[in-house]
Amino acid sequence: MALEDYRGDMEMCCRCSCCKFIPMQMVQGAEYSYACPSIAKYNFHAYSAGGRLNIAASMLKKGFNYSDKILDIVKNCQMCGACGVSCNYAMDMEVLEPIQEFRIKTVEDGHTVPALEKVITSLGNQGSMVPVTGKRGDWASGLNLKDATSKKVNVLYHVGCLTSYDKNMQKLAKATVNILQKAGVNFGITGDAEMCCGGRAYQMGYKEDFLNQAKKNMAMIKKAGIKTLVASCSNCYQAFKVLYDKYNLRGDLEVLHITEYIARSLNEETLKPSKKVALTVTYHDPCRLGRLGEPWIHWEGKKIPGDRFVFDPPKIYRRGTHGVYEPPREVLNSISGIKLMEMTRIKEYAWCCGAGGGVNESNPEFAMWTANERIREAVSTGAEAIVTACPWCEKTFNEAIQKNESSLKVYDIVELVEKAI
Amino acid sequence: MALSKEVYKEFEDVVGEENICDDPAIMPAYFATEFAAVILPKDTAKVQAIVKLCNKHKLKFRAISTGWTGVFPKNTILLDLRRMNRIIEINEKNMYAVVEPYVISAELQAELFKRGLNFCIKGAGSNCSAMLRGHGHLDQTTSADDRNHLAIEWVTPEGEIVRLGSLGSSDEWFCGDGPGPSLRAIISSAVPPGVTPGVFTKAAIKLYHWPGPSKLPVVGKSPRYTLREIPANMMARYYSFPSVEKMWQAELKIGESEIAYELMGFNASMVASNITTCNEEEEEVFRRISQEVQGPGFFVIIAGNSPEDFAYKKKVLEKIVSDADGKSLKSVEDPEIEGILLCQCVRISASIRETFRAGGAFNSIPIMGQRDLTIKWAIGAGEAKKPLIKKGLIVDDGGAFFGWGVEQGHLGKTEIFCRFDPLNPEAKKAVEEWRKEQCARAVNERYFADLLMAKIDESGPSLSNYHLWWRKIVKELDPNSVSPEGGPLV
Ligand SMILES: Cc1cc2nc3c(=O)[nH]c(=O)nc-3n(C[C@H](O)[C@H](O)[C@H](O)COP(=O)(O)OP(=O)(O)OC[C@H]3O[C@@H](n4cnc5c(N)ncnc54)[C@H](O)[C@@H]3O)c2cc1C
Ligand code: SF4
Ligand code: SF4
Repeated sequence: MALEDYRGDMEMCCRCSCCKFIPMQMVQGAEYSYACPSIAKYNFHAYSAGGRLNIAASMLKKGFNYSDKILDIVKNCQMCGACGVSCNYAMDMEVLEPIQEFRIKTVEDGHTVPALEKVITSLGNQGSMVPVTGKRGDWASGLNLKDATSKKVNVLYHVGCLTSYDKNMQKLAKATVNILQKAGVNFGITGDAEMCCGGRAYQMGYKEDFLNQAKKNMAMIKKAGIKTLVASCSNCYQAFKVLYDKYNLRGDLEVLHITEYIARSLNEETLKPSKKVALTVTYHDPCRLGRLGEPWIHWEGKKIPGDRFVFDPPKIYRRGTHGVYEPPREVLNSISGIKLMEMTRIKEYAWCCGAGGGVNESNPEFAMWTANERIREAVSTGAEAIVTACPWCEKTFNEAIQKNESSLKVYDIVELVEKAI
Repeated sequence: MALSKEVYKEFEDVVGEENICDDPAIMPAYFATEFAAVILPKDTAKVQAIVKLCNKHKLKFRAISTGWTGVFPKNTILLDLRRMNRIIEINEKNMYAVVEPYVISAELQAELFKRGLNFCIKGAGSNCSAMLRGHGHLDQTTSADDRNHLAIEWVTPEGEIVRLGSLGSSDEWFCGDGPGPSLRAIISSAVPPGVTPGVFTKAAIKLYHWPGPSKLPVVGKSPRYTLREIPANMMARYYSFPSVEKMWQAELKIGESEIAYELMGFNASMVASNITTCNEEEEEVFRRISQEVQGPGFFVIIAGNSPEDFAYKKKVLEKIVSDADGKSLKSVEDPEIEGILLCQCVRISASIRETFRAGGAFNSIPIMGQRDLTIKWAIGAGEAKKPLIKKGLIVDDGGAFFGWGVEQGHLGKTEIFCRFDPLNPEAKKAVEEWRKEQCARAVNERYFADLLMAKIDESGPSLSNYHLWWRKIVKELDPNSVSPEGGPLV
């Protein structure tokens, strides 16, 4: 659907400001009440979801006169979707979808920002969203892993750009491999042949580049006869599971996040964490595993003329209810010695780490500010470590912690599971 | 009229370049009004400096808190008070809280619950400013803000900082009337949303005892939050009655016996909005509930300070309801639904479901006064809604109204609204006409109604020409005419 298709949704915005905050029932005081990093940092109403909808609706009416300010508003948003959850507590209207379409339109109209252009150029040239050093599959050298493109495997482990290329993150790939091996899974990787999922390009508004990656990936997956894909990066997970489905490209590929796969293995008792890990932790729900990991709902319909904003057939909204919230918690709770302390903003109304929507690339200072807010919240729980389930969150938190000399530790959940098995 | 570079620079010097913007790009987000500039002051001193500059350059200005509502003249300087979001003090001993305009009610209430306290949250919702004046679900026990505002800090249209009440003499926030300048007569109808010009920068709000837990045990995922369990000594019910008279009899008795923590005169349609998560479900539940209720009704929360107190209040409630032939709505007795309503109606978090969700717009007439009389007026306004419902121009709520008593007495607020699709010009026009007619009827029948600005000169003479006095006061306060009125005089 294009931006025009969301005209009615955008006109529904009543300016209530709920999209700035976590759902009202969940507000626990003056601290940690905000859901939207963009409004919390930039303050002008235009930087809230409601403001973005108002602006996009006005441009639809009056024409797309781009300015630096418009681009600043469009790009300084993590596309984290917290706004949609808070709005959709009470309202029946799409929020993140028109914001996404607005982004796509700016790119299609040729109004881009240099930092993001650079990343997308690199995606085109080198197939990666992060700087390339060496070969994509170098992290696996010596591990003797199966090549899923040529060997029959039950599961494809899709590693992702950041985990593959970033020397500090390769440990996550190794931990994941270790876990899958311990669980006795017949899995493989695609190594140097692995391609970017395109999800982060989509968040930045580069729909064509995303579709290009998606088609290439699905062609390879089909050719290799892969039925199940496991991702340890939440961005990849959401791309394969939700975005590919949105564009009817996923077919019947089963997509699981590693935390779902571990939780399943724990239930089936193919994986048994036996070692104690004495640590008080808090868990950060990555946006794209949590609320944005909710399955896509295919729908096409027309507004029923009359007094209500209702459709034929009825429209079911993705309100963040069905994201992946429990499996990571089940996994943490299965490790003896781990004590889980929850933050105020969790699950469907979790605060973003700051890295999404191209903000990491286009405005690192804003990404850091957002991460610092989360670190502060994590520290307030009394936890020694913040645990997440996405390399982008881990990277951003680590950078923020280094800058502000916090003693909080950062782990991906696979690192803790690896310690425990 | 864009500001000249020099004038813009003067404002920028006050707040810093990141806190002022006149780029047309942001204006659609601000009521689609072409403001001369939007400025984000951080504190009272900055507000004062901005107001003085507005006077110097004869520029009109207005302030917003969360900015939900308002109509503003083009080229106004808008003070968006978003950065003024501090809870300055919660004084447990003297039971008041001092807040800045962008503290939302949900934030203040959560802090208060931790201390066994609560305050009057406006029916608009806890997403609004905690500081703004109004009425709400808790009026039975927390009264309304005519009484709840204690000392107030106000930047006048000329840029003087006036500290009202005890603040004016002792730096203490405990009283709105003094020792120190009271000025309550000006402020009482006027702390926004209202008409007093200038900017309100801080207010002390009276606090009340909260018998519930320090944090409500909310469970579930959005959009269906409920309570894990109904907190000890609390209960929520909806009762319907065979007639308006019977309902009123029960409402009055409940007030007299001082047993209700909350009494909210929801109609069946509002109950349906509250407990459903989408429009389709709402329509279906409304149809079902309409069959279950026997007539008009209200929602009640009982909150005891001890098991004995709770048992007593419950028993009295049951007796009053039974004497008036009231019937409890079975759906609400289901603990999940009871939990949804209890949570939403204490944390005031579903007014949007009641108003905007259906069609995207609503138009409302609130009437203050003696409840049994204003209800009679509302029945007429409800009848006048029915042809619009029949034509499919507004959402079918059975022609219902709602309202609630204030301070356990016979006075209260009665309100009626139409929900519609604002993109349907026919519906919009029909609703506007309905509103005009029903407001005029209210005024003719001598009710205290929100008067449309255009009508003030007509209705003023029957109200001691108060509007003329008000204009004289405003002229004194705002000699440069830089602070336009924020809304209709009430
Ligand atoms: C759905 C809905 C339901 C409502 N129900 C009720 C109800 O039950 N009871 C009730 O009392 N009200 C009700 N209202 C009105 C409501 O009280 C106000 O809309 C609400 O309090 C506004 O809060 P806000 O923070 O959004 O104020 P804003 O929208 O920011 O401001 C409202 C008005 O006050 C002015 N203003 C705001 N802050 C200041 C300031 N600091 N100094 C000077 N002027 C200022 C603005 O210019 C504007 O004219 C309802 C409104 C809506 C939309
Ligand atoms: S986007 Fe939704 S939550 Fe935000 S202001 Fe608009 S209606 Fe309210
Ligand atoms: S997606 Fe996230 S950053 Fe963007 S408007 Fe919504 S809440 Fe704010």
